[in-house]
Amino acid sequence: MAKMMGPEDSNSFGVDVAKKLGADEAILMTVISNERMARFANSSVTVTKNVNESGLVVYLAKGGRRIIGSSSNPEKSSLERFIELLYKSMMSLPKDAGYVPLPPRGSSYRPKPSHDKKLEGPEGLLAGYVEEAIHAAESAGARRTAGSLEAGVASHHIMSSTGTVGSDTSSSILLNIRAFTDRDASGHGLSCSATVRDFRPGVAGERAGSHSKRMRNARQLNEEGKTYQVLMSPTVASNLLGLVGDFASAFSIEAGTSYLVDKLGKKVASETLDLTDVGRGDGCLQARTFDDEGQPTRSTKVVEGGVLKSYLHNLSTAKRFRTKSTGNAGLIEPGPWNLEIGAGDSTYEEMVKEMTHGLVLTSNWYTRFKNYRTGEFSTVPRDGTYLVESGEVTLPIKGVRISDSLERMSSSIRLLSKEREWVQWWEVDTPTLCPWVLVDGVTVTKAYGESPPQGS
Amino acid sequence: MLLEEYKDLADYCVREARRLGAEYAEARIHGGKGTGFLLKNGEPQPSMIDDSFGIAARVIVDGAMGFGATNLLSRERVKDLTATTVKMAKSSAPLVKERIAMGDSRTATRKVRVAEKEPVEGADPNWLKSILLEIDRSVVKLEGGAGGVKIPNRIMVASAGVEEKYVVTSDGAKVESRVPRFNYFGILTALKGGDAAQRMIQQGETGGLEIVKRIRLLELVEDEAQTLMEVLGSAEKAPTGIMDVVLSPELSGIAAHESVGHPQEADRILGREGAQAGESYLSRDSLGMKVGSEEAHVSDDPTIAHSNGYSPVDDEGVVSRKRRLIVGGKITEFLQNRSTSSLLGVKNNGSSRSAGFDREPIIRMSNTFVEPGDYATTEELIKEVKDGIYIKSFTEWNIDDKRLNQRYTGLEAYRIRNGETTSLVKAPVLEITTPALWGSVRGRSKRLEFEAANCGKGDPMQGIPVWTGGPDTLLAGVRIVGGS
Repeated sequence: MAKMMGPEDSNSFGVDVAKKLGADEAILMTVISNERMARFANSSVTVTKNVNESGLVVYLAKGGRRIIGSSSNPEKSSLERFIELLYKSMMSLPKDAGYVPLPPRGSSYRPKPSHDKKLEGPEGLLAGYVEEAIHAAESAGARRTAGSLEAGVASHHIMSSTGTVGSDTSSSILLNIRAFTDRDASGHGLSCSATVRDFRPGVAGERAGSHSKRMRNARQLNEEGKTYQVLMSPTVASNLLGLVGDFASAFSIEAGTSYLVDKLGKKVASETLDLTDVGRGDGCLQARTFDDEGQPTRSTKVVEGGVLKSYLHNLSTAKRFRTKSTGNAGLIEPGPWNLEIGAGDSTYEEMVKEMTHGLVLTSNWYTRFKNYRTGEFSTVPRDGTYLVESGEVTLPIKGVRISDSLERMSSSIRLLSKEREWVQWWEVDTPTLCPWVLVDGVTVTKAYGESPPQGS
Repeated sequence: MLLEEYKDLADYCVREARRLGAEYAEARIHGGKGTGFLLKNGEPQPSMIDDSFGIAARVIVDGAMGFGATNLLSRERVKDLTATTVKMAKSSAPLVKERIAMGDSRTATRKVRVAEKEPVEGADPNWLKSILLEIDRSVVKLEGGAGGVKIPNRIMVASAGVEEKYVVTSDGAKVESRVPRFNYFGILTALKGGDAAQRMIQQGETGGLEIVKRIRLLELVEDEAQTLMEVLGSAEKAPTGIMDVVLSPELSGIAAHESVGHPQEADRILGREGAQAGESYLSRDSLGMKVGSEEAHVSDDPTIAHSNGYSPVDDEGVVSRKRRLIVGGKITEFLQNRSTSSLLGVKNNGSSRSAGFDREPIIRMSNTFVEPGDYATTEELIKEVKDGIYIKSFTEWNIDDKRLNQRYTGLEAYRIRNGETTSLVKAPVLEITTPALWGSVRGRSKRLEFEAANCGKGDPMQGIPVWTGGPDTLLAGVRIVGGS
C-alpha cells in the first residue's frame, strides 16, 4: 500500500524533487488538520463528524514563470509525479509579470506550543458542551435549538528552496447555537475560543434562548426606506466591518473589487474605528507565524483613527505597490489572518441610551454587494432584532433588511463598546475580535407583500 | 485511475463499519483533478493545478449518524477512521431524540460517465490562458466606442476539471461516476467619472472542453461588457411604484432557486440546517399549499444533459429524477434524501450530494427553473405590459433564512412603455415576499435559458455546482423601488 510521509519529510522531498527538475524556487507547505464536529437540530444531535486531512501546497518558479499546485496525496511517488506535472505545465507558460523572487535568505520558525492540546482529540468533549448549550438555551425559554460545535487543531509546515523552514499549530473551538420559541421567533449565540479555558457554551446557549423568548410576537416595521440608528452586536459588526479586511487586500485593490482603491492615507471611517490584522496573538483563532510565502506574519494596522493606513500584501503585490510584504500571503491573493476592531469606552446599556430611534441587531446573514467598487450592499438581520425608541428597547422586530454602503456606515460609527468578543462562524470567515458598534443613519428596507402566518 | 485503485478501500470501510455494529454504512471515494487560470486586468497570474482525493465514511449506530473523512488512503488509516466514526456516532446516541434511519429507498448499481469530445483531464493551462487573453483583449477593444466609459478592472478565471466518485452502501448501492466540467467566472468593473458599475459573469457546464465553443464564451462576455458600459453611460433613474415587471431567464432562475428550491429542501423544513442556512417558511404539512398563481410552475431536474448540476444518481446511491416543486401555484414535492423521505413517509427523489470527500451528503438542488410557458418570444410577453420594467440581469441579491423576504437589484434593466422596451434604467430593486412574487406570475415565454451558479449550504460550508433558469416571466403589479 501507499507509503505516507510526515510533513517535514514530505516538504523536504518535494523541494528536492523540484530542485532536481530545475526549478529556481520551490515552496512546499503541508497543512494537517484534525477536526471534530457535532451538529444538532430540534435539540437532537443530527450527526457527529471527524475529518483528518493532510494537504500539500506547492509553489514552483523558473525563469520568471510560476505555478501553484495543491494535492491531497502525500504518498511519495504520487507527490513526485505531481511536482513533475506542475513543472512541465509551468514550463509551457510564458513569463509571469507578477513574479517576484523569494528573499535570498530564508527564515527559520520554531514551533510555539501555544495551542490547546486538549483540542488535539476533542471528541470526548463534544457531548458535554452540546448538552450544556442546549440546556442553557432551554432554561432561558427556548422550545428547541439547532447548532454546531466544532473543535480541532491545524498545523502548517513549510520549507522553501531558499532555506525557510518552520511549523506552527493553532487550535480553536467554535459553538454556534440558534434557539427557537416558534418558527418566527429565534435567537442566536456564539462562543469562539482558541482554548477550552475561555470557551463558554452555556453563555452562548443562554443568549440564544433569551433572544428566542424576547422575539415572540415580533412585529413588522410600519415605515421603511428610512434611516435608523443601528446598534450592531459583535456578531453583526464582525460580518460587516470584518469585510474591510478583505477589501484591504492588495489583490482586491488591483482587481477593482474594493471601495478602498486610491484611499491609502485617506479617511475611510469614523475616527473611532481602528482595525488591525493580527497574525499571531493572544486568543487568535487562526494563528499563523508565517504566511504562505514563508514570510513572518505581524500585526498590521489597516485602519487607525478612521484613516486607511495599509493594504495587506504578499511579496508580489508589495513590489507593485512599492512597499514591503505585510506577511499576508496567499500565493495569489493576500488576505487577513485575524482581525481586531479596537474597543471603545461605552457599555451596551450606555449605547442603547444614546439612541433616539433605532434598531438593535444581534445576528445577520446573506450579506451581498451590489458593487464591491462602491461598497454598496444589503444584509438580512435575523434572530434578536429590536426597536429602540428614546433610549429604551421597546419591541421585537422582524422582516427588515439593511441596505447601505460599507464606507458610509464605517464613516457614521458613533460609539464602540468596551466589551469585545471573538467571532467566527458561517457568516464570518476571518476570526474577528469585535465590540458592539453604534452607527447613525443606516437605511432599512422591507419586502413588498404579505407573509403567510408562521406556526411552530 | 485512482478511483479504481481505492474502490476496495471503500468496500472494506463498509464491511468494517458493519462489523463494528453500524446499522447502516456508506463509503465514498471522492476526488477530482483540475486546472485553473486567472487573469487580472489582462495579466496572467500563476496557473493552479489541483488534485484532491479521499474517502468519506457515513454510518448509523443506535439511530445516531456519524461521518468521517480522510485523504490518507491506507487500509490502516481507513480502519482507524471507520472505528472513530462508529465510536463517535455511538457515543452521541443518548443525545439523539429522533432516531435516524435510511428507510427503504431503492439503491442503484450504475456507472455514470459524461461524454467529452475534447477531454478535460490534463487541460493545458496555456490553452486556458489563451482563451482568457482573447476575451480580455476583446473587452478592452470595446472601450474605444463607449463614450468615455472604461473597464479598467477585469478578473477572469477559467477552470477545467474532472470529479470522480465511487459510492457504496451496506444495502446494495454501488455507483461510480466521472463528471468533467468547464467553468468560467469573471468580474468586470466599468468606470466613468466617479461612477462605477460591476458585473459578475458565471458560466459552467458538464462535458469536455468543447463547452467553450458551444456556449460562445467570447461573444457572451463581449456582450456583457458592452451592456455594462451602456448601463453606466446611459441608464436613467428607475421609477418607484407598483407596476408590471418582466423577469428574464436569469432573474426567473435566481428567484426559483432562492424562494422555491431552498424552502422546499426537506432537511430545512425538518430543521436540520436551522443554525446556519436556516429553515423554511413551509412545514412538513405544506404539500398542496397554494403559494403562487396558476401560472407558477417550478421544477428541479438533475438529469439535464450538459447541465452544471447534472447528477443522475445521488451520493446515497439513489437514482435521481426531475422534481416538480410547484405546479399551478401549488407545492407538489420537496427535495428529499433517504432519511427525510423515510421520516416523512414519502418516496425519495435522490437529492443528496456532497461537494467533496470531506463533506457529508446533504439535500441539494441541481438545476432549478421556472417551467417555460406559451408566449413565443420575450417581445410578445413584453407587449402585455403598458408601463413597467424588464429586468434582464441582476447584481446584489439576498433572502431571509426562511426564504420569505427576498431582494434582487437589477443591473441591465429597461423601462417598458406601451408594450416596448425603451430606455435603460438604473438599479431597480424588487424586494418582495415569496407568496407575493409567485402569486403575481401572469405569463411565461417559451425561451428557457440557464445560468451557472455555486450554491452554498451545510456546515462546514459546501459550495456545489447548479444551474438556475427559466423563461421570461411576467409579474403583474409588484413594487419596484428606483435606484439612485
